[in-house]
Order: sequence, then structure tokens, then C-alpha cells
Amino acid sequence: MQDLLYFFQQLINGLTIGSAYALIAIGYTMVYGIIGMINFAHGEIYMIGAYTALITITGLATLGVAWLPLVLIIALICAMIVSSSMGWAVERIAYRPVRGRHRLIPLISAIGMSIFLQNYVHLAQGSRNIGFPALIEGGFQFGSGDAFQTSISYMQITIFVTTLICMTLLSLFISRSRTGRACRAVSQDIGMASLLGIDTNRIIAATFVIGAALAAVAGLLLGMYYGSIDPLFGFIAGLKAFTAAVLGGIGSIPGAMLGGLILGVSESMTSGYLSGEYKDVVSFGLLILILLFKPTGLLGKPEVEKI
Amino acid sequence: MKTPVKKLVTAVGASIALMGAGHAAAEIKIGIAGPMTGPVAQYGDMQFSGSRLAIERINAAGGVMGEQLVAVEVDDVCDPKQAVTVANRLVNEGVGFVVGHLCSSSTQPASDIYEDEGILMITPASTSPDITERGYELVFRTIGLDSMQGPVAANYLISQKPKSVAVVHDKQQYGEGIATAVRDTLQDAGVEVAMFEGITAGDKDFSSLVTKLKQAGVDYVYYGGYHPELGLILRQARQGDLDAKFMGPEGVGNKDINTIAGDAAEGLLVTLPPSFDQKAENQELVKAFEAKGEDPSGPFVLTSYTAVQLIANGIEQAKSTDPVDVAKALRSGSFQTPIGTVQYDEKGDMKSFEFVVYEWHSDGSKTPVN
Repeated sequence: MQDLLYFFQQLINGLTIGSAYALIAIGYTMVYGIIGMINFAHGEIYMIGAYTALITITGLATLGVAWLPLVLIIALICAMIVSSSMGWAVERIAYRPVRGRHRLIPLISAIGMSIFLQNYVHLAQGSRNIGFPALIEGGFQFGSGDAFQTSISYMQITIFVTTLICMTLLSLFISRSRTGRACRAVSQDIGMASLLGIDTNRIIAATFVIGAALAAVAGLLLGMYYGSIDPLFGFIAGLKAFTAAVLGGIGSIPGAMLGGLILGVSESMTSGYLSGEYKDVVSFGLLILILLFKPTGLLGKPEVEKI
Repeated sequence: MKTPVKKLVTAVGASIALMGAGHAAAEIKIGIAGPMTGPVAQYGDMQFSGSRLAIERINAAGGVMGEQLVAVEVDDVCDPKQAVTVANRLVNEGVGFVVGHLCSSSTQPASDIYEDEGILMITPASTSPDITERGYELVFRTIGLDSMQGPVAANYLISQKPKSVAVVHDKQQYGEGIATAVRDTLQDAGVEVAMFEGITAGDKDFSSLVTKLKQAGVDYVYYGGYHPELGLILRQARQGDLDAKFMGPEGVGNKDINTIAGDAAEGLLVTLPPSFDQKAENQELVKAFEAKGEDPSGPFVLTSYTAVQLIANGIEQAKSTDPVDVAKALRSGSFQTPIGTVQYDEKGDMKSFEFVVYEWHSDGSKTPVN
């Protein structure tokens, strides 16, 4: 019983982190699905989302706004707006001018963008870890007495539920809306789509913006969950999310979700049963294995709809 | 801002060298190397603040052998690669003496360069024993060693008669070194060490670690490392309903841990150098810091002040600005400093240095535990 509760606790820890990875992974997978390139500045956009949310929350606190749902919604909206405009700007500055050139060129300009954004936040916000207020506290307990108790915090539930909502809305958007259909068309054949009257520039910009908005959601959620943010924390989260996207099959949205969850759970199980030291070894080891044996990822079959 | 000043210093230095052609310059350059930016910049602030005031006061009192001290400040971000870069820069600047570095993992590679280039280095903060283990002639410190700090922490834990203790570290030279010392002392005393495990510095998610600590049922957790990670562990431990008491080395004891951990920092145990700023004989110095609007209470402020003072004392005693002569003078002499009487052994370690256990509070204050 003890061991089972322990296992569940690690599973919950893993699913929480995994679903946040999935939210960030969407940004990689969508951009790859459309233009076949990796947006290396995406981790930084997530980090900026977290900073914007923190600044908004602090600002609201000084204004005396204390009603929690309102604070969270305003913070979320501000973070999404700022991150989306960053996503849009990254596309405009680092991708559009060099699109269609050799594949290395946009890659390098994106890395440049990432370095720029990281250092910009370093300068503007300082390089120290900043504490993020714990707004959602408390949780449920399972198990009794002195034995090990499994606890699920409200924060973990919030992360999981928010991710599910975002993923559902995104899937509906892609499958039902006009822009979503245009997205699918562009991802299948960009030249043909533009011949048929789709404004491909607008669609490409839209994928950057959507990915960035979801990264901002992850920024707010993980900022609150972890408890502190710093200008470098987008980098490693970006790597993990990228791994999740490749694991699930880059270009596939359900793949990003699956990849994120697998990565999160395998990390927490490694920390839980082996040692925290091997956490990153396992996650990046998984990436190598997938690239060696199934380069398209778990759900990334060519016939799967790519977006 | 900084570059023009530095250029000016270099230009002045160069012109003096040209004029004097072979004579000693009328100033003594002291490199100050530590993190101005990065996750542990707070400690760097302490180092720079202490060293700057020491240089100001020594210069105001007429300098050293009639020559003025000039600071050359560099930022190593507490990154070993950056530390090597800035160490080489100090070599090019022609400094003879360095106060730094702060992080043990930076001090170690930088000290190789200083030793080779004949520069005397005094670290005010690096506690890793390895630094002075290599038989270097020009490497000193104004702080104790992990091998002194670890046992102080472990002996405190032993006195609390814990059921079992977990020891966690950040796999870095400083953190793992001190954690190993704590584990060994605990085991020698027959205390059960239920877990000895590393985490990755810079990581943010410690929920799995917290779950594991909870499962292990430990009543004390010793953490070897710095505050950004321990702050998060404390906070996530509270969220995960882990009730164990935490303890850490001086690397976790600063006010930044409160902004990260919030209330969860209450009751954290920290081994720190004694509060030199509370000593009666240092009150005049404390006022000088306060007059500048600076806080002398950080653990490395007065150790850095002392490092500069020792360089000055060493030069005066050796009657030479040759770092090798100064090193000999430091090894043979006994010096009255704000951190007490300093005497060095052959390795460059202080013959005695005391660590004290403090209890940390959620408002950033601390009280000694006895």
C-alpha cells in the first residue's frame, strides 16, 4: 500500500510537469509542422511569459486587487499578450527575412534571437532568482495515519486541467476554424496553399503567436508551481519541451501532449526510484533512442496530419 | 561606465610605465574577481563592497609603502569558464594580487592561472579544501574549509539525536564537498544517513525529491549547495507536506532565500562564519560601511575586507610588491584583522577559523543556536 501511494505520488508529480512540458512543446511542434524549422527562441518566450505574469501579479497586489481568479486571469491575459507579440516579432525579425534560404540560416538567426532575449531580460530584470508568490495553496491527502500520504495540491490540479482545456481548444481550433483549416493546408503544401488564396505569411505568423500564447500559460503555471524564476530558466525548459515534441513526433499536436507526459513521468520516476542525478540523463537518453530508432517520433507518422 | 574607467586606468598605467621605464608604477593593482551578475551575485556584492571599502580606507591612510591601491574589478558570474577568462584578463592588466574568486568551482581553475603567472590570490569565500591541497605557493583564503564547516553542521545534527538524516547536494565542488564531509561525520557517529543524492543546479522541479524524502521518513535534511535550489526545495517541501528540518552551509544563508522560499525558510539551520560585524572591536568599521549605505553583515563582507588588508600588510612586512615575497611574509606573520588574528599554515589556510550554527527566519534575520 505504502509503495503504491508512493508510486502514485511520483506519477502525479510527473504528470504535472509533463503537461506543462506539453504546453511548451506545442510551440515547437506547430512551427515545425508549418515551416519545417525549429524555433529556438521559444524557451525564451516562455520565460518572458513567466516574467510578465509575475510583474502583473506584483502590480495588481500593489493596486490592492486581491480576488484570486481575477488576478490570475489578468496575469494570464497580460502574459499571453506580451508573449504573443514576442512570438510575432521573432517570426518577423528572425524568420521571415531569411525564409526560403538555406535551412541553417533561420536556425542561426533564431539562436541569436534567443541569446538576445535572454540577455535583455538579464539587463531589464536582473539575473537573480525572483520568488513567485504561491497563489494557489492547499490540496487533497490520500492515505492515513503515520504512513506515507499521497498529496495532490490544487496547483497540480490547476496545471493539469488548464493544459487539458488548452489542448482541447487548440484541437478544436485546428480542426474546425477557418484559420485552422488554412494552417493545415499550409502545413501540407505551402506553395499550393498560397496559390489557392491563403495568406501564408499571416498563417505562419499565427502559428508563432499561438505557440507563444500557450508558452505564456505554461510560464504562469510553472512559475507559481516552482516558486522562482530567473532569466535562464527558459533554456532548459525549452530543451525539455523540444525533447517532448520530438519524442511524440514533431509536427503532431497529440504527439506533443503524449511526449510531454512521457517525459515528465519518466523524469519523476527516475528521480523517485533511481536518483535525481539521472533525471536529465534519462530524458535526453530517451531523445537519442527515439532519434535512432524512430526518427519520426511516437505519433509522427507521415500520414498523420501535420500542423 | 566601467570600460572608460578601466581604459583610463590602463592608459595611466601604460604612460607611467613608459615614463618610469623599469621603475615600479606608483600604484598597486589589486584584481577583485567575483560574480557581479548571475544567480549568486548577492554574494559578489558582499565581496566587492568589503574590498572597495578596504582599498578606500588604506588609500585614505596614505596607501601601502606610499603607493595607492587601485582595484581592477571583473565579473566571473560564478562560472568556471568565465573565471578562466577574467583571470587571464587580470594577467593582461598586470595585477600582482587578486581578491577572489567567490565560488570554489571558479577559484579552482582561476588559481592555476594565478599560480603560473606569479599572482597572489586570496579568496574570501571559497571553502573547498581542494583549492589549497595542491601545494601552491600563492593561494590563500580568509575563510574556513568545508572540512571544518561540515563537521560543525554534522555535530549539531548529532546532538539533536535524529532518527535518520538525508544529505542532498548540487553536484558542484562546493556543495558535494561539504555534503560528503557532513555524511562522513554523521556515519562515524553512528547516525543513519538514509539518502545521499545529487540534484542538478539550476533545476526548478524538486517535487520528486520531496516525495522521496517524505517516503524515507527523515527528520533532518542537510543540503550542500546554494540558495536558489534550496529555496525551491524548502518551498516545494512545504507544498508536499514534508515535515523535516533543513540545514545548509553558508552558501544558502542570505536574504534571497526568503524571496524564493517565503515562510518556508523559517527554522532553516545554517552554518555561517561568526557575525564579525557584531564584534566590539569592529564597530568603527561597521559605521564606515553604514556611512556608505552598505550592509556589513553579509558573511563575506569582512572576509573580503580582510583579504585586501592582508595584501597591504603583507606588502609592508615584505617591503616588496613581489607576490612571492608577500606570500612568504603572509606565511610567517601574524596579523590583526577584522576577522580576528590571522595566521597561515604552509598550505595557505588559516590556522583557525570558527563556524557557528544559526537559525534562519522568514524575515531574513538569524539567531545563533546553542
